Parts: sequence; C-alpha cells; structure tokens
Amino acid sequence: MKQFLWGTLNRRDVIKSGAGALAATVAVPGIGWGQGQTPKRGGILRTSNGGDPPDFDLHQSATYLTQFVCSPCYSTLLRIDPNDVNKLVPDLAEKYDVSADGITVTFHLRANVPFHNGSMLTADDVVFSLDRIRKPPTGIVSPRRGLLGNIKTVVAKDARTVVVTLNQPQLDFPFLVSNPFNVIMPRAVAEPLDAKGQGMKRQIVGTGAFKLSQAVDGQIYELERFDKYFGGPAYLDKIQFFPIKGEVERSAALQGKRIDASFFIANESVLATLRKVPGVTSLRRPTPTFINLIPNVNFKPLDDVRVREAISLGIDRTAFIKTVGPLAGAFYHSLGLMPLDSPYSLTADQVKQFGGYDTLPELGGSVEANRKRAMELLEQAGVPKGFKLVILARADIPAFRDSSINISSQLKNIGLDVTVDSRDAGAFYAAENKGDFQMVAHSVALSGSLPDQILGEGYTSYGGRNYGGWKDDSIDDLFRKQSAEPDAAKRTEMIKEFQLKFLKTYFQINLAWVGYGASHLNTVKGWNALPDLYANMQMDKVWLDS
Amino acid sequence: MFEYVIQRLATGFVTLFGVAVIVFLVMRVIPGDAAVMLTGAGNGVVSESELEQVRRNLGLDQPLLVQFADWAGKVAVLDLGTSLRTGNPVIEDIARRFPYTLQIVVMAMLIAVFLGVPAGVLSARYAGAWGDRVLQAVTVIGLAAPSFWIGLLIILGLVTFFQWSAPLFWEPFWVSPLKSISQLFWPALAVGMRQLALIARMTRSIMNEVLGEDYIRTARAKGLSERRVVFHHGLRNALLPIVTLIGFEFAALFGGLIITEAVFSVPGLGQYVVASILNRDYPAAQGIVLILASIVVLGNLAIDLLYGFLDPRARVSQAPA
Repeated sequence: MKQFLWGTLNRRDVIKSGAGALAATVAVPGIGWGQGQTPKRGGILRTSNGGDPPDFDLHQSATYLTQFVCSPCYSTLLRIDPNDVNKLVPDLAEKYDVSADGITVTFHLRANVPFHNGSMLTADDVVFSLDRIRKPPTGIVSPRRGLLGNIKTVVAKDARTVVVTLNQPQLDFPFLVSNPFNVIMPRAVAEPLDAKGQGMKRQIVGTGAFKLSQAVDGQIYELERFDKYFGGPAYLDKIQFFPIKGEVERSAALQGKRIDASFFIANESVLATLRKVPGVTSLRRPTPTFINLIPNVNFKPLDDVRVREAISLGIDRTAFIKTVGPLAGAFYHSLGLMPLDSPYSLTADQVKQFGGYDTLPELGGSVEANRKRAMELLEQAGVPKGFKLVILARADIPAFRDSSINISSQLKNIGLDVTVDSRDAGAFYAAENKGDFQMVAHSVALSGSLPDQILGEGYTSYGGRNYGGWKDDSIDDLFRKQSAEPDAAKRTEMIKEFQLKFLKTYFQINLAWVGYGASHLNTVKGWNALPDLYANMQMDKVWLDS
Repeated sequence: MFEYVIQRLATGFVTLFGVAVIVFLVMRVIPGDAAVMLTGAGNGVVSESELEQVRRNLGLDQPLLVQFADWAGKVAVLDLGTSLRTGNPVIEDIARRFPYTLQIVVMAMLIAVFLGVPAGVLSARYAGAWGDRVLQAVTVIGLAAPSFWIGLLIILGLVTFFQWSAPLFWEPFWVSPLKSISQLFWPALAVGMRQLALIARMTRSIMNEVLGEDYIRTARAKGLSERRVVFHHGLRNALLPIVTLIGFEFAALFGGLIITEAVFSVPGLGQYVVASILNRDYPAAQGIVLILASIVVLGNLAIDLLYGFLDPRARVSQAPA
C-alpha cells in the first residue's frame, strides 16, 4: 500500500505512474498561500459574479453562481492547490492510501473538525456525502454521479477512516473526489431534508472557513468567518455577494469601487475596459469549458454521419472564434477533445483529418474546399439544397445564443437553410432534455481537465452531456479501459485513440474553448486565478490590503 | 354609495378569478416546467423518471383542475403558496419586494404630476410660444422612448461622467428615508418620463379647451387675476380627466416596471415576476400576477370613488336609482 501525504500528488505523477507505483513523500506545509506580504486580518470582501444562486445544494448544482457562494462554506476530502491546478493538497483528509492493485483508496480524516452547526465531522458524514453524489436518494438529482461512478462501496472503517473500493483502478480518482462540488455535508442535517425531497437547497452547513449569515433573494448573500474552521480562522471578516446580473453594471460597480471583485466576466469589451482602470487587476484564463455543436442523431438526416461531417466541414472555426470569442470568451482552441496544452492533445496532422477542424487557427485549411466537400457529402446523403434545419438556442447566454447565430449563418454557405430557435432557459432545457431538437450549440463547463473529467462527462453516452442521444458501446468501453490503465504511456495512447474514434463520429462538433475573465481591485490579495473556473474559490486565504 | 362599492367589489372579484384562471393556464401552457428547472437545468441530461419524481413531489402530476382547485383554495385564505425558487412563502417574498416597487411608482408619479401638470398648464396658457413648442417636442420623446432605454441612458451617463453605479444594497424607506429616496430617484425618473409626458400633454389639451370656455371669458371680464382664472377656474374644471389618467397610470405602473427594475437591479416586484416566470416558479408567478391585478382593480375602484368626490354630478349618477 502506498501512502500519499501532502504537496505530493500532481497530475504529472498521475500521468507518469500507476496507482500502485507512487512513492510516498513528506508533506510540505503552508504551500504558497499568502506569500510575499504579511496578510492582514479583517475587512469585508464585496463581490458580484452574476445573478442569484438558484439554491445552495452543491451536490445538485452545476452552476458557478451556487458554487462561488457555497465553496467558502464547505470542504472536500482533498482540494486543488491554490497555486497549481495540477496538485492536490489536504482538506478534510490529511492523507490517503491506495492499495497495490489500485482498487482500495483509504482516506484518513483530520481530528476535531466541526461543522457550522457545532457537530463534529465523522467518517459517516463522508460516506453519506459520497453516496449522496453517486447514488442520490429519490428526489435528489446529482449531475456528477458519473464522476464517482467507479466507486463500488464507501465504508466508514472507524470515526476517522473512510475506505473506498473501486470497481477498477482509476488514476484520476483523487482528483474526481476533490471536485469542488463534491463537498462533505453532515448526514444528520441533510438526510432528513433529502427524505422530504428538499435537500440542502435552502441552507448551508459545512466545515468551511465561512458560514452563511444572510441570504436575501435579489439583494445580498453574506458569509461570515467561522472561527472554529479547522484550517485556522480566515483573514476576511465577511464575504458579501451581490447579484448584479449585467457584466457592464458589475464593471461599473468595480470601477466605482463599490465591489472589490468579480470572479466571472465573459465579455471581452467589459474586460478590456477594466484593464485600463488603475488599481484594478483583470485577467482571462482558459478553463475546461467547451462549445460544441451537437446534432440530434435521432433526427433524420442527422443520423447519417456524412451529414454530420458536412456540417462540421461547413464551419470556419477561425471565423467562429473571431466572432463569438469576444462575446462569450470563446477565444481558445485545442487539438482534439482535451483542453489546450493537455498532455493528451492530438497532433495537428491527426486533427486535420477530420472535416472542418483544419480551419482552426494556424492549421491552414481551406474553407472553400471544405464547403465544396460538404456539399458533395450532403448530395451523397440525399440532402437537398435549402434543406431546413433548426438550432435550438438558449437566449440569455452568449455562448449558446451567439454561437447558434454564427453557425446558422455559416451553414447557409453549404446550402442548408439553418435558423435559430431562441428560447428562455425553461423552454430550452425542456426541449433539450426531451431530445426535442435538431441541433444545439452547447457550452459545457467542466471542473478539472483530466481525461476522466473531460471525456467521462463530456464524451461518453452515459456521462450526462449526451444531449444528442447517441449510443456507441465501443466508445464507452474504450473510455473505461483508459480510465483503468495503470501504465501512463499506454493510457496516453488510449486517450488519443478515444479522441480519434470519437471525432470520426461527429456526434459532437467541437468549435472552441472558453476562457473566463475575472477582475478585482489590487487590494484583494491571496487569490490566484487557476485555469479552472471552480477551483480555489474557498477564500480562506484571501485578504484585503486596505 | 355602499351598494355601488359592493357591486364594484363583486365585479372586481370576478375579474380576479378570470385573471387567476388565465395566469394558471398560461404558466402551464408555456414550454418547460418547474421540474426541469428545479432539477438544475443545464446540469446535464436528467432522466424522465427523476423528472416524474419531482413532478409528483410538487403535485404537478395531478389533473389541471385539481391543481387549480388546490391553489385557488389556498388563495381564498390568503395563502399564495411557497416559492419553488426561493423556498419562502410567496406572500413573504412579495411583502419584502413590494415597498421598493411602491416607492418607485409613487416617486415616478410625483415627478410626473408635479412637473407634468404645471408644464401642461403653462403650455396651454402660452400655446404657440417657443416654450410650448419645446414642451411638445420633449413630451413626444418622453412618450416614444421606452423607460428601460431612458434608464440605460441614465446609467451610462451617470457611469461615464460621474462614475456612479447602481447601489449594491437598496435601503428600505423605513430604515433610511433620505437614502432610499436618493437611491430610487433615477429609476423613478426613468419610469416617470412617460407619465410626465402623458400628463403634460393631457393637461395642455384639456386646458386649451377649458380656457376657451365662456365662463373663463366671464372670469377674465370680471377682472380676476390671470393666475386665479387659470388655476382656480381653468385647472379645477380640467382636473377630472387628469386625475383619471393619473389613477390609471398609477395602477398600470406596477405592472410596467419589469424591465426598468432589471436595468437598475432594483429588487422589486418586477424582477420577482421575471425570475418567477423564467424559473417556472408557478406559485410565485401566479401569486404576483394576482396581486398586481388586485392593485389595478382596487386602483380603478378608488378612481371611480374619487370621481364622485371631485365631481358631484358623478356622485349623483353613481347613486342607485
């Protein structure tokens, strides 16, 4: 059995080694946080990131609006290093062991960790929380159950030891269990509420550095410091979240120093304005969020791979990125299905063999030639010129709406008469969920950039993002195999094979990757923008230099 | 008079029942349902069995008639239900937001009345003069420009020139009246521009007519001062239609603040309506529409009663035969 202490496990280790082959190393205390200046205690961090959080149940949520408010209040077993998204550091578990066969993972919990309601954390709360995510009780919906789908059993060995048995070895498991949404909740509070079908939607009881002090819909969400936090009291007295929806209005509030930070800004013109403001730091970083065009394969003629390939051929991706990029932050592209700079990326030559992907920036493809080929494919498939197709779009989000408008316009160049059916969120999701659409342009924001996170959720038939209703057992099997492969080199090859296999199906047509912006006054210290929207939002080491 | 009030209240009740039926049906007819939104729309594909379970929990699997009867029964005892989105009783949510909307409406109407009526009177008195022409032009703009557009211009102007931005926390009037008034002044101005234009034009038009009447000429011939002629004899006789207009606009404004509240991020009823509808929060959307309809019905009744107070002839005609 190999033991993992802190400052040790990073993604490179994971890539280079098998689950049973990691050498134990010694903890590195006080990693990186608050380096340079001496942190000051006190103050209220005023922030606005968009609208009201729909609810507070992180296990049931997938929106940053909920996660940004709840993250400072909860803890996970392990957490992403605030200085390096590729590393894990302790949170509730001070160490963990993986058995030689990679099947059993044992988490050793810290002692004396109090919840906000005064009760103490036990291994049973961890068992409850992990089970709640992977096997949600009736009435509870868990969008990340697939992430923990490889868990066979979770057992409390004693009050401070949790033993997780996996169905098959999974190198990415420590990162999956550390997903910022996979927080630990107290069984005694959550279980009775789950039984009533309410869940933890209206309350927050965690072990994090802050606790909820007030929540006024449309006005303010306020957290105050939890002095018994196991990691030591946070620097800030309070964090206030104001639901200012418009990015222009948030920018104005920041310029007027009415708020200290906005950790979510997509529109480039807003960010560009803020970059010119003295005393304000503004940035944009790539995040594991992609925009895909998803054909519904249950709708003829989209069940024909030639038609799907023709659609992909018809899209000039460079033009897409130039147009939609500034509106939705979709400035980035990658080679394959993994995020940019991934060690699992394909080569340019590999990507260029798939219809339309050679129009990605700097790949030198010919848009005209692609569109000519697209029209040939459509003709072969018996699709007449002027064939009508509709893209379902969510009207209130640029990544959905503006992507759809751009694609509909581009596809007219291959003789398709494509229109956009723009709907409000309720109508959009109702139609999408039922599969009542022809095509949809979808932005998918994932937490983490590991293969099991990106491919597992985004590109398996059962992963939760299969809006197009496709089914291909060979793809799902290949995913499972790479997930269990202990040999890093072999696994890398399998991941590349998976991507090549999936791209060939055109079940999803990748258009761009999104990078989100953030902006804060220079008085806000101790926060690093990681290339992951959801990571490092605990705020326990953030302080105000004012 | 008592019978008249009872009769009007009964008519109002029928109207409200009709509104209740319509809003109930409309919320069910629009695509999307509460279960989809509650299960975290956008979180990925949710299975139909999970959705069915949520629908069962909410009682949405019952026939529409049963659902309506259940809701209407609760409304009859002033229970508007619990918001699916906020988890609070709808009546509490509304009570917390109502003061902001009421304050904007009152301030907008005060701006409109105190600027619109004198402007209209002066415009009529000096019809054809440059001041009158300027007012005509300005009021046309006020009528044509939507309030949310004026609101956006106000915000952009204030942000650009004064680095002003909408407050983070809107102070309730009873906590800090002056601060509250200063915070809500700009939304009220944006909303009140249309009413100001409408009232000014209506006042000018009626005053023009009244100032040409014989009794005005007689008043002038008697040697009364021009101020007394215009304001005492002229305006008083022109007041009835203006009051009617003010009353109607006051009631209508409650339902017309939706976009302006969104533009200024005021946590009033307008934003609540939008959020409720977008989230398919049936109890909240139905409750708020019913409340707004009640305000219009009661507002109209109040205007009719005010008619009688202002014009004895109306009082006689309203009395039962």
